[in-house]
Amino acid sequence: MQTQSSPVAGRDSLAAVAAVDLVKVYGAGDTAVRALDGVTVGFERGRFTAIMGPSGSGKSTLMHCLAGLDTATSGQVLLGGTDLTSQPDRVLTRARRERIGFVFQSFNLLPQLTAAANITLPLDLAGRKPDAEFHDRLITTLGLAGRLGHLPAELSGGQQQRVALARALVSRPEVVFADEPTGNLDSRSGAEVLGLLRDSAHDLGQTIVMVTHDPVAAAYADRVVLLADGQLAGEIHAPDVAAVTESLRNLAAGR
Amino acid sequence: MSVVLRTQLVGVAKRPSRLLLTGLAVLVASFVVYATVLAQQITERSVLNGLSGTPETVDLVVQNGEITTGDLTAIGKMPGVAEAAVRTEAYARTPAGDLIVATDPGSGPLSTVEVTEGRFPTAPGEIAVTPRTVERMGLGIGATTAAQPAEGKPVPLTVVGVLTPREDIGFLAYAPLSTVVQINGFDQLDRVDVRFDGGADAGAVRERIVAQVAGEAAPEVAGGAEVRLSEAREAAAEIDQLFIVVRVFVAVAVAAAVLIAASTFRIVFAQRMRQLALLRAVGAGRGALARALAAEGALTGLVAGVTGVLAALAVGHLIPPLLSAFGVAVSRPGFPLVQAAGTVLLAVLITIVAVLAPALSAARVAPLEALRSAATTGARQGIGVLRAITGLLLAAAAAGIAALVTINLPGPQEQDYDAETMMLAVVGSGLLAYLALIALGPVLVRPVLTIAGWPLRRSGPVGRLAVGGVGGSSRRAAAVSVVVALGVTLIAGVLVGGDSIRVLSERETVAAAPTDFEVRGPNGSTLPAGVAERAAQSADLSRVATYRWIGGAQVGTFTEAAVTDVSAKAVPRLAELDTSAGALTDVAPGRAAIAGYVAEMDGLTLGDPVTVRSNGKEVRVTIAAVLGGEAPLHSQILLDPADLTALGVAAAPTGLLADAAQSGEDGRTKGLRALRTVAAAQPDLGVNVLADQRDQITEALGVLMVIALALIGLTVLIAIVGVGSTTALSVVERVRESGLLRAVGMSRGALHGMLTTESALYGVIGAVLGLLLGVPYAWLAVSAIGLEAPLTLPGWQLAAVFGILVALTALAGVLPARRAARVSPVTALGAD
Repeated sequence: MQTQSSPVAGRDSLAAVAAVDLVKVYGAGDTAVRALDGVTVGFERGRFTAIMGPSGSGKSTLMHCLAGLDTATSGQVLLGGTDLTSQPDRVLTRARRERIGFVFQSFNLLPQLTAAANITLPLDLAGRKPDAEFHDRLITTLGLAGRLGHLPAELSGGQQQRVALARALVSRPEVVFADEPTGNLDSRSGAEVLGLLRDSAHDLGQTIVMVTHDPVAAAYADRVVLLADGQLAGEIHAPDVAAVTESLRNLAAGR
Repeated sequence: MSVVLRTQLVGVAKRPSRLLLTGLAVLVASFVVYATVLAQQITERSVLNGLSGTPETVDLVVQNGEITTGDLTAIGKMPGVAEAAVRTEAYARTPAGDLIVATDPGSGPLSTVEVTEGRFPTAPGEIAVTPRTVERMGLGIGATTAAQPAEGKPVPLTVVGVLTPREDIGFLAYAPLSTVVQINGFDQLDRVDVRFDGGADAGAVRERIVAQVAGEAAPEVAGGAEVRLSEAREAAAEIDQLFIVVRVFVAVAVAAAVLIAASTFRIVFAQRMRQLALLRAVGAGRGALARALAAEGALTGLVAGVTGVLAALAVGHLIPPLLSAFGVAVSRPGFPLVQAAGTVLLAVLITIVAVLAPALSAARVAPLEALRSAATTGARQGIGVLRAITGLLLAAAAAGIAALVTINLPGPQEQDYDAETMMLAVVGSGLLAYLALIALGPVLVRPVLTIAGWPLRRSGPVGRLAVGGVGGSSRRAAAVSVVVALGVTLIAGVLVGGDSIRVLSERETVAAAPTDFEVRGPNGSTLPAGVAERAAQSADLSRVATYRWIGGAQVGTFTEAAVTDVSAKAVPRLAELDTSAGALTDVAPGRAAIAGYVAEMDGLTLGDPVTVRSNGKEVRVTIAAVLGGEAPLHSQILLDPADLTALGVAAAPTGLLADAAQSGEDGRTKGLRALRTVAAAQPDLGVNVLADQRDQITEALGVLMVIALALIGLTVLIAIVGVGSTTALSVVERVRESGLLRAVGMSRGALHGMLTTESALYGVIGAVLGLLLGVPYAWLAVSAIGLEAPLTLPGWQLAAVFGILVALTALAGVLPARRAARVSPVTALGAD
């Protein structure tokens, strides 16, 4: 079910976030590395998309640029119609605080805050109160009800990642970016977290973009975007483990 | 070199800034230590060059025994003796005031004076005076006066010259020996300085002189150089004592540096936990790891020590030329190599002491740590049982000693009170309390943070995160805060103690010197009629008031009491006397002000009656005021004039108080002259310049405070360095955390603000703990010193210290915070 991506997707009104001809160059002169080499791709609203590719394909760089964590060398990043490129840090900070959520491979919870305080951290920074009903629903869904008073050190890896997920979801951002969210988890906890990500896309209408190199994880997504050598290398709709593994093998062979 | 050590050293070489940060506290400490050594050298050299009263040309000094004019003549005529100069003096009473009349050769190598006007006196009855004596006593060239010897007729004196001596005390004249002997009334010389001929046999001359002065009370015969040295030593002895105090404070500073260095090493090693675990995982032994870390510490100490010594040397050699540019001549410090080596060795030693505990605990890391990648290795909270017990024992011991001191505090006017032992006990108790603070610090941080952090927590998420960040690593917070606390404890102690002493000295100066001048007859005799009236008419005097004063009275059960009736309305400064109840202005017929210790002895309070007896008569008065110390003019009770009259005291005043009409030295000289004129007819009237005494006390106290605060400043400097390096390291350590906060939408400014607030919080916690420790101990010390000084709380000064320290600690965190805020979130999140 491999099809070519449409450049139009970037300007599709359905896209929550999109990259248009995005270029990112690290270093200069002879040692310059083109981590992204003209990537144009859109991520539909309310869907769970995975970005895949071999090591060094530029998938993490793409995510960092899309999330306003890093600035591109050229091209555009459109977040719900706003161009994030060439915006000052102040605007990017605000966008991250109010419109974007993150889930990291290594959880990245603040060790001195309780689970509850970690969850509401972005809202606190924005000076907003969480929607109590939604907050409670999230806590129940993620199975964190009995853990809110605990410090991160007192939680298992799976629990910590669920706290991180709650933190990303609670402010109902336009996009949640997940960077290898299962990389540090055993397969059972990993499956749990991936299931929760998929459910939040389907049940809550949350747009989710996940970077992974694990075909099993990618199979939970609605769509897989493949990247190789900083360029788009195709995509898979409604992927399964076999299809993803096959595509990755083709990519490796094609190099 | 072992692989383990090499790995560590390569790491150090890669990030030299970390070495500097960990070594900064040690660097400052070695700078301070060596700077003290150099300062002492500069001071001693300068003093030895300038402070001996004996001219360099003196070969032999004869002193401390019976020397007569005959001896002097004989010594002067001896072969081998070029010159013999007599130095002796007489205390003369003259109508213009008391005068010291001394001898000097007047010229030549043995002279210590320089004639600036007129000539040196040669004939009997001629004198030359110093410039201040001209001013103060009105003795210009041509003026005549007379000195009253103990027996016989006055000796007439004529001023023929003005000269500058080594030290102008303001009532000093020089005269030929015959005049001095005449005033003294006996032929007894204090000292003879002898200068040899060029080719004289020193030993032989000395023997001849010893033979000449031999007798029952034979004087010492010593070499000139020897006398010079011992005189300089005597002058420098005060400086030596000062440096003993300086060394105590330097020791405190070094201890603070050890604490800071230990906490920085702990953080540095915590950062490298994964690397250390990896080394353990691939087979490095615990011992090897600990040794490598300790070696790294020693290297840090060596680098920091050498840098500190070099910096101190540079400053030390820069100061003399700088000062000479401002016209102050001081000697260069030289290059004390032994002390330099000692300082570097000390730096290495204290760094090893500091690094030992962190190295051992870091080497205990489990190899498995290397395989964990999650950044949730939360800081350890609280303290172990052993540490808690040690802390509580220390606190109990401190409290026990403090309680003992409190029980044994001296009563009013207590005799045979051993203040030294009590002060040692207070210092010991303070030390134990501070050690308890170090042990229990992490537990104490929490409650202080809860209270101090309350407004911050309400201020918004940034404040909340800062409070959480400090509370989340209470051990780190405690390590920094106890050092700040040490600085604040010492400063608060000095301020509180200094304030108490200031009030005490104010009380004593006001009680003893309520006005600029006092005129009194000898032995309580009354003033001649008209003196007070003439003084009141002088334009150079103001607030002229008379008083009566009698001794040998009885107040309650207090015998040998002095009673006075000086009016607080006529002498406004008396109102400044501190009272424990009532006011001095409440004194009225039947109502008196009583000295605090007299009231305490008889258990009297405000409104109680007390009986005053004198010469068989008695009056009963009500206590209208209880004073903190004694009553004015060294008396025990201040009565209304009517009550004093009722005791049978004659109406004529026994003394007169007056202020100079104008302020400053000029006004004081004018006032003094006016009073001397008024009292001129009665040479037995004593005129005292009380204002001079007051100035001396105030000045001496000010100098002491400045020295003490400067010394404590050193400790505070190290504390600030500690806060700075700890914040810097904690920022490096938590760069991931910063990255996360930036990723979830914290702005650069807010992150900057949060980290700065955290270091300010270290300051707040330290300052609170320091004040809690410093103020009570200062009070205890003030009570234990036995001076009956009042306990005061210089609120504004302490608030200023608090504010300044918090501001400084916040400032120490600004640079690291700015650096952290600049790091991009991607880099931060990728950081290991």
